[in-house]
Amino acid sequence: MPLRKTQAVVIGRMALGESDRLVTFYARDCGKVRGVAKGARRPRSRFGSGLELFTQGQLLFFETERSDLARVDSFDILHSFQSVRENLERLMYGSWAVECLGRLSADRDPNPALYGLLLRTLKALETPCRPPRAAFCFALRAVDLLGHRLRLDRCLKCGTPSPFGSKSGRLDFTAGGLVCEPCATYGSDGVDLSGLAVGGLRRLRTLSWDEALRAVLPPALEVEMAGVLEAQMARLIGQVPRTTRFRTQARRALGVNGGSP
Amino acid sequence: MAYYPEPVARLIDALQKLPGIGPKTAQRLTFFLLKRPTEEVTALSEAIARVKAQIVNCSICFNVTEEDPCQICSDPARDARLLCVVEEPNDLLAMERTGQYRGRYHVLLGVLSPLDGIGPEDLRVRELLARLEGQPADEVILATNPNVEGEATAIYLAKLLKSLAPRVTRIARGLPVGGDLEYADEVTLGKALEGRREMG
Repeated sequence: MPLRKTQAVVIGRMALGESDRLVTFYARDCGKVRGVAKGARRPRSRFGSGLELFTQGQLLFFETERSDLARVDSFDILHSFQSVRENLERLMYGSWAVECLGRLSADRDPNPALYGLLLRTLKALETPCRPPRAAFCFALRAVDLLGHRLRLDRCLKCGTPSPFGSKSGRLDFTAGGLVCEPCATYGSDGVDLSGLAVGGLRRLRTLSWDEALRAVLPPALEVEMAGVLEAQMARLIGQVPRTTRFRTQARRALGVNGGSP
Repeated sequence: MAYYPEPVARLIDALQKLPGIGPKTAQRLTFFLLKRPTEEVTALSEAIARVKAQIVNCSICFNVTEEDPCQICSDPARDARLLCVVEEPNDLLAMERTGQYRGRYHVLLGVLSPLDGIGPEDLRVRELLARLEGQPADEVILATNPNVEGEATAIYLAKLLKSLAPRVTRIARGLPVGGDLEYADEVTLGKALEGRREMG
């Protein structure tokens, strides 16, 4: 049973048995790791509040031969991201980001860049920046890092450079990028995209993280671009993220309007 | 499960659906039951059937009860101006064990969980609001668990209840009685400091 030590962030958790917890971590050196934390639900557990969602810590775990699940030995808090958990809007967008990450990444597939992106996103959610923008920037970069980057510079079929003047294009998820209006197949697996949104997405890709968080965008354009990323995430995951359903319900009940993600 | 007689396989399959029970435990429980006297096993199966047939949710507070409304809701000695909101009936029992609370309850029958897609419409939130509109309370105590889901639920309810109750409070969080300060993590200790109170 080899012992591993790495930095990790808690991206999911569920009750297991009488007092244990099944915790999903995204670790810097190991990628997604699912492990059992024995007795973690007891009030005097040695894990304390360390296994709460978004907590970054030093993870010590044993690989077990009989199961894919690791045995969590300890998780010492490095940064709790408590303020993200204690604000409903930040929690909703942070949860959306970790759900997408958890569902799109395979177990034990290390991706330090993705780990760094997750930390940057959680840190952004702690600042006064708008939570939807932080989640949006996360999604835009995460799909690239996971190898699902969509081609936006020209039509995939005829090669016409984008944006296509006054005409809109269609983002074809199966084809893996943008197609111009004449080339778009009716009913294809994708979403319509205005020229402005194509330009906006390309611009946000090239900006640094801090610049992308601060970039001023017309609200309607931001909603359109966020909708595209939400659709791409749903396509990649195979269903609409659960956190999206939660957000829709919470907004309806609180009478808040807003775009996705 | 081809090796087992059909009734055995069926019981193993049924037991596996219980929380925290995997195939091995289900198999062990099944063979344990096979060894027990018939009357003991019959009593167990009757108890399971009876609990399902006779227990309902109270139409006021949604606690589990034999009679509707439940004993707590129909007790005139209980303070109707004090309402404690809990996640599950188990939490209500834990509160009752303290012997310090004499108000009434509202059981949400769940908790908000973004990652599981459980939203306000899946809980008894609408019923809580309707109840407070019809029967105002002086204080609503939010006694959800001190974890991310419980906090989200408390924050959400606090927003909704602002206009319906003059006082919305949250149960204290911090160190467990008998615990050691040096072993407490920074978040727990921070909460304990935040919730400190004057002595004497």
